[in-house]
Amino acid sequence: MSTKEDLMIYAQALGKTYQVGDLKLEVLKDITLSIPKAKFIVICGPSGSGKTTLLNIIGGIDKPTSGKIFVEGQDLTVQDEDFLSDFRCNNVGFVFQSYNLVSTLTVAENVAFPMEWTRKPEQEIEKRVTELLETLGLQHRANHFPAQLSGGEQQRVAFARALANDPQLILADEPTGNLDGKNAQKITQVLQLLKERGKTVIVSTHDEQIRELADQVLCLEDGKLASKNE
Amino acid sequence: MSKAAFPINDLLRRKLQTSLTIITLTLSVASTLFLLLFSSRLGFNAASAVGTLTQGLTTIFSQFILFIGVLIFAVGAVLTSFIAFLMMAQRTRDFGLIKAAGCPNGLVAGYFMTELITTTFAGCILGIALGFFIDYAAANVVFSAYQLPNFWFAPLVFVAFFVLSVVFGLQPILKAARMSPVKALSPVNYYGLTTTNKHKPLSRSGITWRIASRSLFRRQSATIRIVILLSIVFILLTVSVAGGIIASDTTTSWIQKTVNSDTIAIAHNSMGNQYKLLLSKFSGAKETGDFNYSDPKLAIPEGVIGQLSALSSVSLVDSRLILKEHVNEISNFTVNPDTEQTYSVGDSRQGEAIVVGVNPENLSGTWFVQGRFLNANDDFEAVIGDSVAQAMYSPDTSKNTMLSNPLVQSIEFQNNTFSIVGVCVDPVNNGLVTYVPIERLENISGVSNPNLLLVKLNNSTDRSADIAQIKTLIQATDPDLNVFELDGVIAKNSAFLASTWQTIMLLPLFTLVSAALCLVGYMMLAVDEQHQEFAVLRAVGAKPKIVIFILAIQSIIVLVSSFGVGISLGTIITLLILMQQPLVTGFTILEITGWLLAALAGMFIFSLYPAFRLAKTSILKIMT
Repeated sequence: MSTKEDLMIYAQALGKTYQVGDLKLEVLKDITLSIPKAKFIVICGPSGSGKTTLLNIIGGIDKPTSGKIFVEGQDLTVQDEDFLSDFRCNNVGFVFQSYNLVSTLTVAENVAFPMEWTRKPEQEIEKRVTELLETLGLQHRANHFPAQLSGGEQQRVAFARALANDPQLILADEPTGNLDGKNAQKITQVLQLLKERGKTVIVSTHDEQIRELADQVLCLEDGKLASKNE
Repeated sequence: MSKAAFPINDLLRRKLQTSLTIITLTLSVASTLFLLLFSSRLGFNAASAVGTLTQGLTTIFSQFILFIGVLIFAVGAVLTSFIAFLMMAQRTRDFGLIKAAGCPNGLVAGYFMTELITTTFAGCILGIALGFFIDYAAANVVFSAYQLPNFWFAPLVFVAFFVLSVVFGLQPILKAARMSPVKALSPVNYYGLTTTNKHKPLSRSGITWRIASRSLFRRQSATIRIVILLSIVFILLTVSVAGGIIASDTTTSWIQKTVNSDTIAIAHNSMGNQYKLLLSKFSGAKETGDFNYSDPKLAIPEGVIGQLSALSSVSLVDSRLILKEHVNEISNFTVNPDTEQTYSVGDSRQGEAIVVGVNPENLSGTWFVQGRFLNANDDFEAVIGDSVAQAMYSPDTSKNTMLSNPLVQSIEFQNNTFSIVGVCVDPVNNGLVTYVPIERLENISGVSNPNLLLVKLNNSTDRSADIAQIKTLIQATDPDLNVFELDGVIAKNSAFLASTWQTIMLLPLFTLVSAALCLVGYMMLAVDEQHQEFAVLRAVGAKPKIVIFILAIQSIIVLVSSFGVGISLGTIITLLILMQQPLVTGFTILEITGWLLAALAGMFIFSLYPAFRLAKTSILKIMT
């Protein structure tokens, strides 16, 4: 059994409700879970089951309507936006299904900008960008803008950006959802690399190849945690 | 759903954007209509209200109103076209979506044209109504009486602005109609984005600066339009504020130079009061019409002048003989040195003027705007007031007087001709005045003594005691003689001039508000275009203030570039075209700088509204 210090994430009776007009949509219902450090977790479930909402709450992008969420010992439900911004910048690497790169910045700049906010020295940033682009096979694309890249390349840039500040927690929301088989395999390799490096990785996916990497699979159904498979 | 229901529902759904567009159009139309109505009232008032403002000053005011009018119309036209362009450019993506869903090209273009025409019509109609309302309020406040305005301005402004809005709004609609759905949906084509690569992998400038500046260049079309619009607005602002303040200071100085604040008048009671009325005519008073200036009882004894000159509190005694004369213009000829052709200059116009005899060696001040003032050697020379110059010595095409120049012509009264050596702005008799040497005037008129003394006092700690001493002295000689303090009249004239200038300077205020709303519209375009990226920046750790900072940089670049262009051109127009011999002091520069910077700061703060609104929005809401 894990001790509190070993836990990366602890969620207690999480609930999330959205108000759409007169309608109340209960997206997450009473979710309690704990995820130890350095584990690879896959979240599965049908569309609308609450996977993205759960990732958003873990990443500090969204707040639960009820319950508590602790990440690296920090209670994110009581923090203000400035704290959460710093927390996301230093502790969490987020990868979205639709890549979400900044179109006005080059590939290298997209990878570098989270580091610029932490006031790292310029030489260190350059070194880290080069290292990350080489690791992900994108060094020849450093000077290009996102619109000039393929979907697979854009997603790899998104991973490079997520790793820029070397966070311990990586959250990926359907990272291969928009990619073909070949590009999806490259992303799976990246995730494998992260697992080997001892990162805590939480991936929401339907991809069987990624699921094979999982230490634990959490299945969501209608906003509830339906099963946990070790 | 009927074909008309979609665009109407769409406009109602986008409440903020729709109301911002309509408000901006309304203000633009209202300010232009108000300016036309108000300036026609001001012009009418100046021409009809005999005895208000000298004609030289009226000309300066008219020039200012004309320039401001042209600029406001230009701003209104650019502003209207910009807002129509902006409204439709923001819909390019929606256009693509509707086309992608299978809607025929003609129908989707029809939807957006209906939206354009609906908002433009609403903005123009509301603007016309608001324009009339503001004119009604301003006419009641400034002129104290409401006369029906010139209603023809309304259809003129409505048609001009409606057509401009529709023409410029149609451009992005037609562009989007020609675009394939894929292109309309693509972020590369959205707002005319380009993906040229001219940057190093890691530029050394800050992340916020990079995103802000590149986004500005990406929205080239909208950015260029807003910079042009704001440049014209700042030209307008400079002409009205800087020009207004400089012109106000300069003209006030002209008016104050005629009688200094350390000067008092001495005359018989009736003459003293008449002189005060002549001075006050500038700000609306009327003098006694049948006053007999040559009445021997008004003569001031020579002995009084000698006694006053001997007082230690008196530094100068300026003797004047004031008469009313029928004056005639004397024409002249000029020869073109190249063609040796002779041209007639002037005509033979006539009028009534106050003629003032002065001793050029003993003047309490000099005031002229053209040529020179009288000097000791002058005999048959004269300096005329600006109203005489305008009424009798300016070209008049209706009378075929093509050439006219007072400085090469003469003035004649009582069969004596005087060469004109200068033109002055003078509040006395509202500028219908002519100055000649006093000895010559005494000879011509047969009046041998002055009827008014302007006495310049030395700086003294007790001015009241000095005046009391002078009063006792003169009344010992003639009990009807009195001392007249002119400070109140000068202050009233200066205040009247200042309030007239302030009214003119207020005219562009509405344009400034419209332009500020336009800038907010532009910033909303920036937010709209970049919202996904801002959400990403926030999601990966950017604090809300970074998003505000990026938008603030964009606003500053747009504002400062427009400010530079506008201020430079505005200053050139003001100093080189509108105001001759401007009076610019250190305080004037400070005052102008203060107002212009306040306008810049106000617009900057106002433009940040969309940024603050975005910063308060949750990341997920921005993303969706």
